[in-house]
Amino acid sequence: MATKKKRTPNAHTSSRVVIAADSAIDTQKHDSDPAFVRLRNPATDATSLYMLSGGDLQLFEVKAFEEDFHSWFIGQTVQRDGRLLFVTPMDPLYLILPYLIKSGKEGKFQPVDQVVMDDEFPACSRLLSCTRSLASLHHITEEKEVGTQRFHRYSQERTMNWLKKKVERTVSVLKARNISVGERVKSTTYITMKSESDYRDEDYLRYAHGLVSEYLSQHLSKDLLTHLQLPELKSPKETEPPSKKRKLTDKPVEAEEDYTKFNSAEFARKPPKKMTAAQKSLAKGDKTGMKTMSSFFSPKVKAEKK
Amino acid sequence: MDLSPFETDNSLSCRLTSEIPDVCRTEDCCLGIDEAGRGPVLGPMVYGICFCPVSKKQELKESKVADSKTLTEAERENLFQKLDEARSYVGWALQILSPNTISTSMLQRTKYNLNALSHDTAIGLVQYALDSGVQLKEVFVDTVGPAEKYEEKLSKLFPGIDVTVRPKADSLFPVVSAASICAKVARDRIVKGWAFTEDLGEVDTDYGSGYPNDPKTKAWLLKYLDPVFGYPQFVRFSWSTARTLMDSKGVTVHWEDDDEDGEKSAQRQNNKSMLAYFSAGGNEQKPAQQTHRFFSERRLKSLAAL
Repeated sequence: MATKKKRTPNAHTSSRVVIAADSAIDTQKHDSDPAFVRLRNPATDATSLYMLSGGDLQLFEVKAFEEDFHSWFIGQTVQRDGRLLFVTPMDPLYLILPYLIKSGKEGKFQPVDQVVMDDEFPACSRLLSCTRSLASLHHITEEKEVGTQRFHRYSQERTMNWLKKKVERTVSVLKARNISVGERVKSTTYITMKSESDYRDEDYLRYAHGLVSEYLSQHLSKDLLTHLQLPELKSPKETEPPSKKRKLTDKPVEAEEDYTKFNSAEFARKPPKKMTAAQKSLAKGDKTGMKTMSSFFSPKVKAEKK
Repeated sequence: MDLSPFETDNSLSCRLTSEIPDVCRTEDCCLGIDEAGRGPVLGPMVYGICFCPVSKKQELKESKVADSKTLTEAERENLFQKLDEARSYVGWALQILSPNTISTSMLQRTKYNLNALSHDTAIGLVQYALDSGVQLKEVFVDTVGPAEKYEEKLSKLFPGIDVTVRPKADSLFPVVSAASICAKVARDRIVKGWAFTEDLGEVDTDYGSGYPNDPKTKAWLLKYLDPVFGYPQFVRFSWSTARTLMDSKGVTVHWEDDDEDGEKSAQRQNNKSMLAYFSAGGNEQKPAQQTHRFFSERRLKSLAAL
């Protein structure tokens, strides 16, 4: 009985299941509650959800585990999507970086609070109050101090070195966590017999680069690849052999192999050992007056021999 | 008949047995198999075997055991009493398949249909008799499905035993009638005294015969339909009566092995149309940016909104 089921869109969701670090929801130290904010995703340029907590001192990214056919039982209620939200710490520099790159094209030293501005995402200025933001700006900019004011200018060179360190750190975590990075293994749920030592360092580097690129614009990701001295992978299309074309020659065409041996009496075809049910039922059929399949191919050869 | 082993957990299948009469271990015996409660949407299905020495067949016949369907409940109880009194030469064993067992068997990923379940239960009971040392020579069975096939299957499984499978065997062979009485009595008692594991408060026990076409049963099913959970474990979820009601009145639940319309599921799984492979990649849409496989393998994604 196949009944049609309609997927109704999420009407209203009342509860969510979130996994967050204690520090993310620590309201003891600071009066303000952690808040979800929408900011520009550095990789996609679209809206993504983040969380600022502890009076905007800490930035967290929000990722959702989402798979078909999952639901929650929460207390005495049912939550229809089986979503599991992860709130994990994030380096605010990744989000600040696109703004600095944009203004860096002007080549001027500017105060950051004038750079990190976005009409679409007004909350982005709050990123600057994170503990790690101002203190680590030197990783991606050159700094000048005039009196009490600080001025910054985007530096590609510094950024690349910073990102390289990020990649290297990621590699060490990947190794420590035993994460399979080889091309051969497509899913972590499959057990691979390949031991960790079999992976080349390049595999790790490439994997880590991909992971860091999740937080970078495509352009920057490419630059980083060059900086890491990793050759760009060829797309499968380029590796595909060129489509074959028949060569034109004046010489008579001859078969490359001798197929006539199949017509000789010595060549006895072995009967198939077992037949499937379908083959059996076919074999039972009345075949009188029917030509065999091979008869369509053989007569001309025989005629020539005579 | 002590039903307490089943009643301690009525979600499971349970075997109840009489003591094996000593004569059955020494003399050639005949055995009858029958079931009660195959059709109802409510309550367990009970499989029963009854066995006695071939020499005592006449005595069993004289006790006027007859097809349980032709008897009133009181008459059945009465006859069961008689069988119990004849325990010096009559033995029985029951396999109670809880409605929960039936539901989970029929609705599991690899479907286990009611006929297969019935056959396996019957086989299990015969094996029990053999294992207990009953000298089986003849087995009489009321058929489930085509009689010849069933007979062939049982004969193969139990070489050396004369297996007779007949429709209406319960009215032809006294030993089958006796088995049918044991099964029917057990089922009646279980249904009457069903202890609901669910917290339903005062349960209305006026559910009629339990057969899908009984108006009382239908009314009861309508009354006890929970939009989220469906029914208490007393109901066989796999019965179309229950399923239709749950589909129309309950919340829609999607399972991973649901049959979906081809096109819709393809769309959901982001499958490409076959035609897409033939066009020379002209209208191939480049994905905005593919999430790194670290995230896609873990089903993690960024959110734009909660």
